[in-house]
Amino acid sequence: MKMSQIKKKPIKSSTMKHEKKNEDEGPYELTGEIQRDLQLFKKEIGHNSDVHFREFNIGLTSIRAVLIYVDGLSDKELIDKHIMKSLMQDFTDAKGDGRHEAKEKFTVDYIKSHILSLGEISAASNIKDTVPQILKGSAVLLLDGAFEMLILGIANGKTRNIEEPVSEQAVRGPREGFTENLSDNTALLRRNGGTEKLIFSKFIVGKRSNKDLIVAYIEDIANPAIVEEVKSRIQQIDIDNVMESGYVEQLIEDNFMSPFPQAQNTERPDRVNAALMEGRVAILLDGTPFALLVPVTFSMMLQASEDYYERWISGSLIRLLRFVAIFISLFGPALYISFVSFHQGLIPTKLAMSIIGTRDGVPFPSIIEALIMEVAIEILREAGLRLPKPIGPAIGIVGALIIGEAAVSAGIVSPIMVIVVAVTAISSFAIPEYSLGISLRYLRFVCMFFAAVFGLYGVILFFLFISSHLVKLKSFGVPYISLAVPYRLSDWKDFIVRFPLKVLKERPSMLHPKDPTRKG
Amino acid sequence: MKIGSKEKLSSPQAAVILVNYILAAGILTLPRSSAEKLESPDIWMTVILGGLFAMGAGIIIVKLSQRYPGRTIYKYSQEIAGKWAGSFLGLIIIIYFFSLAAYEIRVLSEVTSLFLLEGTPIWAIIMPFMWIGLYLIGGGIDPIARLFELILPITVIIFLIVISMSMGIFELDNLRPVLGSGITPIIKGVSTTVVAFLGIEIMLIIVAFMDKPAQAVKVVLIGTGTSMFFYLITVVMVIGGLSVDGVLTKTWPTIDLIRSFEIQGLIFERFESLLLTIWIMQIFTTYTITFYAASLGLSQIFKKKIGPFQFGLLPVIYLIGMIPANMNEVFAMGDMIGYSALILFGVLPLALLIISKIKGDKA
Repeated sequence: MKMSQIKKKPIKSSTMKHEKKNEDEGPYELTGEIQRDLQLFKKEIGHNSDVHFREFNIGLTSIRAVLIYVDGLSDKELIDKHIMKSLMQDFTDAKGDGRHEAKEKFTVDYIKSHILSLGEISAASNIKDTVPQILKGSAVLLLDGAFEMLILGIANGKTRNIEEPVSEQAVRGPREGFTENLSDNTALLRRNGGTEKLIFSKFIVGKRSNKDLIVAYIEDIANPAIVEEVKSRIQQIDIDNVMESGYVEQLIEDNFMSPFPQAQNTERPDRVNAALMEGRVAILLDGTPFALLVPVTFSMMLQASEDYYERWISGSLIRLLRFVAIFISLFGPALYISFVSFHQGLIPTKLAMSIIGTRDGVPFPSIIEALIMEVAIEILREAGLRLPKPIGPAIGIVGALIIGEAAVSAGIVSPIMVIVVAVTAISSFAIPEYSLGISLRYLRFVCMFFAAVFGLYGVILFFLFISSHLVKLKSFGVPYISLAVPYRLSDWKDFIVRFPLKVLKERPSMLHPKDPTRKG
Repeated sequence: MKIGSKEKLSSPQAAVILVNYILAAGILTLPRSSAEKLESPDIWMTVILGGLFAMGAGIIIVKLSQRYPGRTIYKYSQEIAGKWAGSFLGLIIIIYFFSLAAYEIRVLSEVTSLFLLEGTPIWAIIMPFMWIGLYLIGGGIDPIARLFELILPITVIIFLIVISMSMGIFELDNLRPVLGSGITPIIKGVSTTVVAFLGIEIMLIIVAFMDKPAQAVKVVLIGTGTSMFFYLITVVMVIGGLSVDGVLTKTWPTIDLIRSFEIQGLIFERFESLLLTIWIMQIFTTYTITFYAASLGLSQIFKKKIGPFQFGLLPVIYLIGMIPANMNEVFAMGDMIGYSALILFGVLPLALLIISKIKGDKA
């Protein structure tokens, strides 16, 4: 009794102070009286049916204690077999003394350091601050007479297993993909990263969603200025709910008016590890398998991890192929329109004759023809995405074969137009970065309009326009078009042609890494 | 803190700007304009000579600019010649720059409407082009330099491919006799070829933006040398393919050269579209850098933000570009700009350099 009286005095004054500070919010500091504290907790989260308040006495003593956890988020087995069991075993025997002494022994510190065999455990005193942690799966242990509570990290919500990433498949390379669980993801990175300099720095985003976000970088490679920029932009995020890393991407990007994605997203840990080794920064968000990589440049979007796993000649050729694909997917239909509508003289006579022959009877100008087919194929693509898996391929067959064939025989479009559209669509699938692929899809339409108005001159204008935009665009201070320009010999080794790994000794210099060479 | 947001040009970037600026309308017209003057196949020597003159002028310009690190001609001319005379000089240079921009877009529209878009009104060709240029220069010298770096390799590759395809009709006899009519016409023709190297005057401005201004002389030599190489190839291939007499009758001899042969079996049989593509890009570079130089000058002389001047110059450039009534007047305008540039940038920097030296010695 004495002890508790002495203890209570200073605490009371401190709670008083606290009450004065935030009178509106009410007292959220623990009072030491378990029933009052429990009421406060119940007021905060008690109306939820999935929040459990388990009241019990610490091992045969009179000390009341409450364990608060969320059903399904916390590891029930741990609670049953470890926490409750350890706390409820007979302590009076062990101490051999009366119950009061046992009560004094049972401080928060004692439990933390002698009783609970948990790895992740911490003490806290503010109720409001602990509520989000409970909602993420931690359990909270309240003790009567204590002014601190214990937060037990036993989150073990049901999560997906590590599987092969669906959106980025590779013939060669690790089959692991990120999951929705942040700690699984960081573990994947840590396991492959290996270095102690790999830093995970944690942030909490979303006023209401309170999601964990991790900024990962390698301390002695990444440019500190870039890391700081990323961190400060994440801290500036002011939104109540962050659903997916796409939210983060849009909230921290440099130019939201630009058609180009300014962060790269990936499901592949090997890709993230490779990017970290280049001195880039990864952003991982809880609840999504998509990690963000910043800064990003245009050429990075054209690289796939397989470029590096395959031998350099095949890697280079495949990369070259992608440049061709990007060119076709952006300019294909536009060039067709401009040559057919404006510059028939510039194509070989025989080809021109056959084009005119097949276009005979098509009632529309080539732009309308192209628009019909392009819009149709975009709809098909979108439809194929949303459909259940077994029906998806069927739609492809319906679209490609039936509509294409029927449109030609009905005389709505010319067969050559169908070829152009099909080649364009296939080319756009060859772009490894999905979000860049989408950008190019709609830029293609812009390009077609330019071509329809000005022909080849319009295509050149479009190219100049897009290039002007690209050279102005920056991703976290790194020019978007870098690698292509400014000319740096070391960077060009990994641009259109992927040089042999033995020659690739430098990291991309546009990121100004702390450690510019890949040693060893 | 931003990474890489430097407003400084590296030396290769400066050289790229120079090459892109120099190469413009000249690629299409140089063979004819110099053939008219010389009437002998020794034009290539004149081109070399013109290039050397340009290099000399460029070095003088660089030496002058290096005396005032971090400042452009608009600022240091006021120091050399006093506030009013310096500003007046700056204004003349500005007028020169935007007149050149106007000339380039006019040539662009003429060529485009002749070869690509028959019947399209000139204003419709010019306007989108001008707006895109405005969009680019809104970002300052840094994006301009990067765009130029992007365009140059495309230009080089396509140009070399296209021009080497004319090997089929190349005849060495068309280039003979060497020095058949003596040295005098070569010297006389230099005034024509040196005009093709206009663009060297940009060093008055970009030296101020370079991170290593000490390398500016090297930039001039490499930049002018590269352009000289391109002009040489052009002149040799065009004269070799079409002969001097053939060139004289053509308005755009380089395009006519490319039009005069067909190669079977490739996707394209005619390649002038490729040549025009890179040429339009080159016009774009010249137009944007002159436009930028003019607006930068106005903003520095009047000490106001650059944005409004860029918008304000847009209609001015357009109206000047629309002044010439026909092709001959366009060429007359080009000659006028060219010769005024010879005085402006051949004589003036030297004079300023001397004054500056005298003043500097006194101080």
